[in-house]
Amino acid sequence: MNFQKYLVPALFFFLSAHVIAQGDGSVTGKNRYPVRQLTIEPGIGIHTNFATDLLITNLVQWNPKKHLSLVSHSSYNINNIAQRDFNGIKTNYNYSINQKFGIGRTFYSKRSANTFLFMAGVKYTSFKETLNDPDNNKVSSAINAFSPDYGLMYSLKKGVKKYFFSFRMYVPLYPWPAKDFNILYVDGNMNNIALEFGVGIKIK
Amino acid sequence: MKNNNGLISRFYTITSALILVCFLGSCKKEVFDTGLTKDFVLQSAADGVSYDIKVGLPGNYNSSSGKYATIYVLDGKENFDLVANKCKEISDQHGVANVLVVSIGYGNDRSEDYTPTKVSQVTGGAAQFLNFIKTQLIPEIEQRYRADSSRESRVILGHSYGGLFGGYAFSVDNKLFGNYILLSPSFWFDDLVSLQLEKDHRTDIKHRKQLVFMGIGEAENSGRMQAPFEAFYQTLQDNYTNIKLAKNIASNLDHLGSKDPNIVQGLNYYFKNR
Repeated sequence: MNFQKYLVPALFFFLSAHVIAQGDGSVTGKNRYPVRQLTIEPGIGIHTNFATDLLITNLVQWNPKKHLSLVSHSSYNINNIAQRDFNGIKTNYNYSINQKFGIGRTFYSKRSANTFLFMAGVKYTSFKETLNDPDNNKVSSAINAFSPDYGLMYSLKKGVKKYFFSFRMYVPLYPWPAKDFNILYVDGNMNNIALEFGVGIKIK
Repeated sequence: MKNNNGLISRFYTITSALILVCFLGSCKKEVFDTGLTKDFVLQSAADGVSYDIKVGLPGNYNSSSGKYATIYVLDGKENFDLVANKCKEISDQHGVANVLVVSIGYGNDRSEDYTPTKVSQVTGGAAQFLNFIKTQLIPEIEQRYRADSSRESRVILGHSYGGLFGGYAFSVDNKLFGNYILLSPSFWFDDLVSLQLEKDHRTDIKHRKQLVFMGIGEAENSGRMQAPFEAFYQTLQDNYTNIKLAKNIASNLDHLGSKDPNIVQGLNYYFKNR
């Protein structure tokens, strides 16, 4: 249990340390990683809540300076995709849309660019369930809600050509305060870490 | 090079500070006054399993006069301190008598004790657990402390499977508790058996005086929580003539995130309306 409890901060810390250790903010030389000013990075992903949500996402990253990153992240999430009829409860629809903007810093190593960002935006969640059981009345319950959405994002770019591999991890910090870092305990925070993979495109 | 070292140092500092803030946020834990907490172990006569029982006494507890209402808290290990502290705070706010808070610790696995039917090796022990509460725990509490023995003075509070068990007690043995705080109840369990149990016992209990508070998280979107919750609520609203009934949907919070806020809402509702 302790392992799970400290997993997320440890992961984030060692990831940061690893990037800092291997990367150098002002590396110069023949093998330095290319600096891209503007990229579009569509991807798909999952949440860590037992991987039941499918995320269709896009990141637009603009680096007005080599190390300064401004991003826009959009995500359409089809939630609980595998289980739409459970014990006589039908899910009519269940999705959420997230739009966030972020600012952060990019570190370059020889083979990758690593960006750490603080993100903030809004999340819209909509779902409806209906009792679809012959022994019970057909009762429905629908939720349509806006909520804040802020947290930390790590973005990795690998590959030096126009098209490159893109990975992102987003750790939501809302609702705050997080009660615990046990990944099994905190819904809405550590249980909803997004892991996204895709192909990035260099625009400029 | 010096600049780089400075950059790295700053990054480490910021990251460490961020993690420290996160840990400090996570370390905050409620603890109820140990001077007012009594504990003992009670062994179930049916299967010999031992339950850790904790009792939180009101600050002005009088052992020789007066009677106190009692809140029985399921998943007591997790919920006792919060419930006991909030009962003190809310009763002080409203200027009403505080209650005895009884924490029921784990004996068997909670999935066994709190579920009404057997769908796996570790479910279906609710009847036995309810019998333990009825024939052993409540008499023990009422013998040791000045607990009011009337049904109207007893509350059961449970979350998730605990809420399912509270719903089971409501339907199957409604004479035991007069007040129910049912939070994110797992009414989806075993093809909605809780809704069926309520229907089976409705004729006998629908005119009885009771208070029911139901809470859930707005973000509980796992495809099983909201509709049965709403169905149970509407059933109570439509069929029960002598009921004080309320529900709360905690904004933006999920199954576990909504637990503590809904405990507070439920206790507030109880103290205002009992």
